[in-house]
Amino acid sequence: MILAAESCDVVNEVICAPANVTELFEFPTIFTVGGLEFSRSSVLMLFAAFVVLALFYFGLRQQRLVPTKFGVAIEGAIGFVRDGIGRDVIGPEGARYTPYLLAMFSFLLVGNLFEVTPLINFPVTSRMAIPAFLSLTTYLIFMFLGFARNNFRYLIDTVWPKAVPVGLRWLVGLIELFSIFLLRPLTLAVRLFANMVAGHLMLSLLLGSGVVFLAAVPEIGLKGSIGLFWFALGLFMFLLELVVSVLQAYIFTLLTAVYIESSIHFEH
Amino acid sequence: MEGNIEALTGALSLVGYGLGAIGPGIGVGIVAGNAITAMARQPEMQGTIRTTMFLGIALTEALALIGFVLFFIASAG
Repeated sequence: MILAAESCDVVNEVICAPANVTELFEFPTIFTVGGLEFSRSSVLMLFAAFVVLALFYFGLRQQRLVPTKFGVAIEGAIGFVRDGIGRDVIGPEGARYTPYLLAMFSFLLVGNLFEVTPLINFPVTSRMAIPAFLSLTTYLIFMFLGFARNNFRYLIDTVWPKAVPVGLRWLVGLIELFSIFLLRPLTLAVRLFANMVAGHLMLSLLLGSGVVFLAAVPEIGLKGSIGLFWFALGLFMFLLELVVSVLQAYIFTLLTAVYIESSIHFEH
Repeated sequence: MEGNIEALTGALSLVGYGLGAIGPGIGVGIVAGNAITAMARQPEMQGTIRTTMFLGIALTEALALIGFVLFFIASAG
């Protein structure tokens, strides 16, 4: 987008329309390995997985009585997912799901934070494939748990809830069926995706227009100094996106835990 | 521009997103406000309340975000 805007005539055209919004998110193939085409986003996805593995490997390589500062930070993150998400939401059984929750949380955290990482500046999770796949695995897990723990009562009690007055059961059942089996995986994926897309768009627009205006100061004079304002706003959004990245990784993991819990303790 | 419906489609999806954001905006405000009230009354329950608040915000916010995505689908299509 920035490249497209630079080629437009800033003096005569008031608004430089970028060619298409998708060029912020879709990248050409960089290299091909055995028929698999790698674009920038797939390279970044592998890099995110590599970063997560490296963090855990170097953080937990040596089990010391007094761990290093880095080790404490990694152990703190693991404790946060195990106790703050797994045990608090799922209950004593939550420890079993800690590996899944931790893998998901750390990958999403790194992937989201790529948005505000200098030189990368692209959240991999803003490509729908990644949130959709993660949400699909969560969907399969809580569906499997629901049917494994409750047999077909999981489906029957959802459609025909005993706790509701008879006259309203069909309505509540319909809403519950729709929300559990369809809306849950959909909103889980769309929430993360939309947050990251919105953040990336906003950052590119504000910082990009700031750069374009400031670069045009010799041509259009002091009017270009409005770029300072956009740039400052972009830097403020930068901080906000830092918070959003962490929060969205947390919320995705938290909702995964909540859905697992609702399948395990289905009775109430 | 007169009678040019094509030029309107992008603007219409923008208006649609704006309308779709009203409800979740009010909802998130209610959730966060009540969470603050609850935290002020029982500071020792802060951790649980914060978790529940994020959960409530995430569920309420979903509608606005679906509207945001539909805006792009409608603009691109």
